[in-house]
Amino acid sequence: MSILMRATEVAKRPVVTLLGEDVAQIKDIVYDGNGGHVAGFTLAGRGMFAGPLKTALGWESVHGLGPDAVMIASEDVLMAREAVVDRASRTPGGGDVLGSRVLTETGTDLGKVVDVILEVGSELDVVGYEVDPPEGKKVFLPLPDTLAVSGEQLIVPDAAREFVTDDLAGFGAAVTAYRARFEGKASP
Amino acid sequence: MRFSEANGQKVVSTSDAVTVAKVAGFVVDPKTAQVVALRLKKTEGDADLLLWTGVASFGPDAVTVASPEALTRSERGDLTRPVVGARLLSERGVELGEVKDVEFDPATGAVRALLTKRGEIAGDRMMGLGSYALVVSAD
Repeated sequence: MSILMRATEVAKRPVVTLLGEDVAQIKDIVYDGNGGHVAGFTLAGRGMFAGPLKTALGWESVHGLGPDAVMIASEDVLMAREAVVDRASRTPGGGDVLGSRVLTETGTDLGKVVDVILEVGSELDVVGYEVDPPEGKKVFLPLPDTLAVSGEQLIVPDAAREFVTDDLAGFGAAVTAYRARFEGKASP
Repeated sequence: MRFSEANGQKVVSTSDAVTVAKVAGFVVDPKTAQVVALRLKKTEGDADLLLWTGVASFGPDAVTVASPEALTRSERGDLTRPVVGARLLSERGVELGEVKDVEFDPATGAVRALLTKRGEIAGDRMMGLGSYALVVSAD
């Protein structure tokens, strides 16, 4: 069973140790070089007036990521903020694609990216985008395993449209089917 | 027995048959799933804690101790955070409700189960109790 969540929902989530102490909360998600995975999180302090922290959380140190909290073994697993931020994508866009337009290879505008859909497993994988189309309600668009994102728009194969769904619960299956079909193309 | 049933029970010294305190709460070690001490009220002097090792017997109507000397005073740093009322959080980051009551074995002090609105969680799933939550292992 795969657990899917929106990236915007992960932000502000408390970071809690297995001893039950809330030591921070998620500030921003740091995507890795090609934007396909989450490398870690920057952190803010807990409480209303708390600012950004000098420490950050690498994905490998996450014990559990659930709908209500990000669990870590202890505060000792936090590392210097720079160590995590340095893993981030160098290319413009990277995982930070909110607001980008999605175009198909043949030039159809599928809409604007309003959220990033993450799949929780041994890695935290970017599996799709929530897209606000020019007409109609928001839909979920699956992504291949690796995707080069550059500039203000991203290009997806025309066939990606077949796997668009408006239901996040059924989106996991759509991603699996989509990736099975594009397995050859997705490998670097 | 449940914490809610045991709360308010009198603590009686068997050497002189005097009620020396009332049970005001429980101190639980989440790692061992054991009641390690009872918090006390209505004591004479400044004692406010009875270590489980000082309990002679935990009966249905009273807790007995050998003598009033069994009562101690909690020190700063003693972990006396209450389990009842704590937010339950699984190690996978899922909230499981609030601890409403605790079922324990009065003979051994073992915590059998944490009771929530949604059901029971075995006491041995407790991992840590902090200021934010009581963390339990995934089932």
